[in-house]
Amino acid sequence: MNDGELVRMEHINKFFGRVQALSDVSFTVRRNEIVGLLGDNGAGKSTLIKILSGALTADSGEIYFKGQKVHIADTMDAIKLGIETIYQDSALVTQLSIARNLFLGREPRKKPYFLDRMDQEAMNDAARVLLKQVGITKDIPPTTPISALSGGERQAVAIARAMHFDSDLIILDEPTNNLGVEETHGVLRFVRNARDSGHSCIFIAHNIYHVFQVVDRIVVLRRGKKVADDIDPKKTTIEQVEQVITGLVELPQ
Amino acid sequence: MSPTSLPEAIAVSPATRSSPSAIQRLVSRPEFGPFVLLIIEILVFSFLSSRHSVSEAFLTSFPSFLSTSNLSNLLDFTPELGMIALGMTLLMTAGEFDLSVGSVFGFAPILMWTFANTGATSLEVGFLIAMGVAVLIGFVNGVMVTKLKIPSFLVTLGMLLVVRGSALYITDGFPQRTWSAAGPLKDILVGDIFIGDLRFRTSLLWFIAFVAILSYVLTQSRLGNWIQAAGGNPGSARARGVRVARTKIALFILSAVMAAYAGVTSSIRVSAANPNSGTGYELEVIAMVVIGGTALTGGRGTIIGTLLGVLILRMMRNGIVIVGVPGLAYNIFIGAIILGMMALHSWLERRHHAGT
Repeated sequence: MNDGELVRMEHINKFFGRVQALSDVSFTVRRNEIVGLLGDNGAGKSTLIKILSGALTADSGEIYFKGQKVHIADTMDAIKLGIETIYQDSALVTQLSIARNLFLGREPRKKPYFLDRMDQEAMNDAARVLLKQVGITKDIPPTTPISALSGGERQAVAIARAMHFDSDLIILDEPTNNLGVEETHGVLRFVRNARDSGHSCIFIAHNIYHVFQVVDRIVVLRRGKKVADDIDPKKTTIEQVEQVITGLVELPQ
Repeated sequence: MSPTSLPEAIAVSPATRSSPSAIQRLVSRPEFGPFVLLIIEILVFSFLSSRHSVSEAFLTSFPSFLSTSNLSNLLDFTPELGMIALGMTLLMTAGEFDLSVGSVFGFAPILMWTFANTGATSLEVGFLIAMGVAVLIGFVNGVMVTKLKIPSFLVTLGMLLVVRGSALYITDGFPQRTWSAAGPLKDILVGDIFIGDLRFRTSLLWFIAFVAILSYVLTQSRLGNWIQAAGGNPGSARARGVRVARTKIALFILSAVMAAYAGVTSSIRVSAANPNSGTGYELEVIAMVVIGGTALTGGRGTIIGTLLGVLILRMMRNGIVIVGVPGLAYNIFIGAIILGMMALHSWLERRHHAGT
């Protein structure tokens, strides 16, 4: 196994009824790498990352994580491995506070444990530090409910959660949808920070311009097949990539 | 939420950009509306009932609203409905509700007395059997809602009919004999306690204890965080490893057990076990919970609010009679309070969480 390799999906096939959503797709992410996953609607990007994040299971194919063959049956399996997925709606509980969301499902507790008491001071302190780390410079108390946050701030909380629990791989599925210009810049900055602090990312976005600004490598899917694997955004133009996505140009593999 | 030591000038979003003062924070709490309503209610009833007994000669023997005899009377039944409301609060915070509580309230004492009266078991064992059956009822409700994905409205409506039907069938529709109620069970559940003239029951102490315990659970414990998450966004809670189904099943069991406990308590207190008792309680209890500020849609709940909601509706029923409004008009006031409080909660919600 290559030491620089974090996750490798091999020969993944997925059918929905008679429709083949993915056919023999292999996909690799290295350590400290941001991979842009592109493709038109229905190309299979979401299916592929849902398999990786445990929301779907593949009909055939293997997944290797840090060189070990793994079986991801549900989202908890993926989270335990260190694969965190951030969806466009952030998957936060809007009624709960920032700190309670950050630690949801893994709340630190005070002794004695039979009283089941959360360590709210520890949660709030950790949340304050984390919010700084992901670049929220305003003073937002960690007890603020998510419903009072803007879209960009919510994404920041979701990214902070992934970073805090030392996820090795952060999957961002359309993280910049419905965000304003400033908030989008914020999210792109978080993604760069995440890489600089040792995380790998898969970045999925409709907006190719956003992808071009942060990723190291672009992978393109078309109709369930991988059609490009190693596009360097620094050596390629957006127009060329668009042509690959729509199928006007075939790149030699 | 615990207080934070951060500076006051906190810009979160346009809706909360102005720094909230202590008073503004107090007013924005969901319990504030019901609290004010309760105070107004107490003042109005005290005033009206005292004026009554002075001006109308033949009513002088009528107890005034704040007399010890009336308060004792008020405190008899309040903890019973209150217990059901506490269980319902946690269940509704988790995004579900339970229409079968009124039937369980009637069924549990029937079961207990049937076992005791036929000589099959002692009253105490009968009580344990009734509570055990309540656990089973709650478990079935919970499993059908979480595993078969049937809305709780339909599941618990079906259970309402099954349980009520069972109570009627077992008893042939007749009340059960209950005159052997005196004993340790009665002392524990509804024993008399006197403070001067004021008589209250041990059921009030149980109720206060459960208010404290469940309030702690909802606001301080990890389980409380899971309950709120299960109601607020079950999908993401599940994705974070929260055992949503298990949490909801436990709360359905809690709801049924609380209803059974309340039914037994009530039956021992009034020395009657009628297969029809508890009819319609489910809606009164849900009204108490939502008046207190718990969201019908889940994700947000308050035990203290429910305590206020329980007191508001019980005092309304009691006070209306004391001040001489025809009892049949009771529902008009209850309905108006529900509509008014819902309007208030929705207005506060939009004011504080604008833009969502």
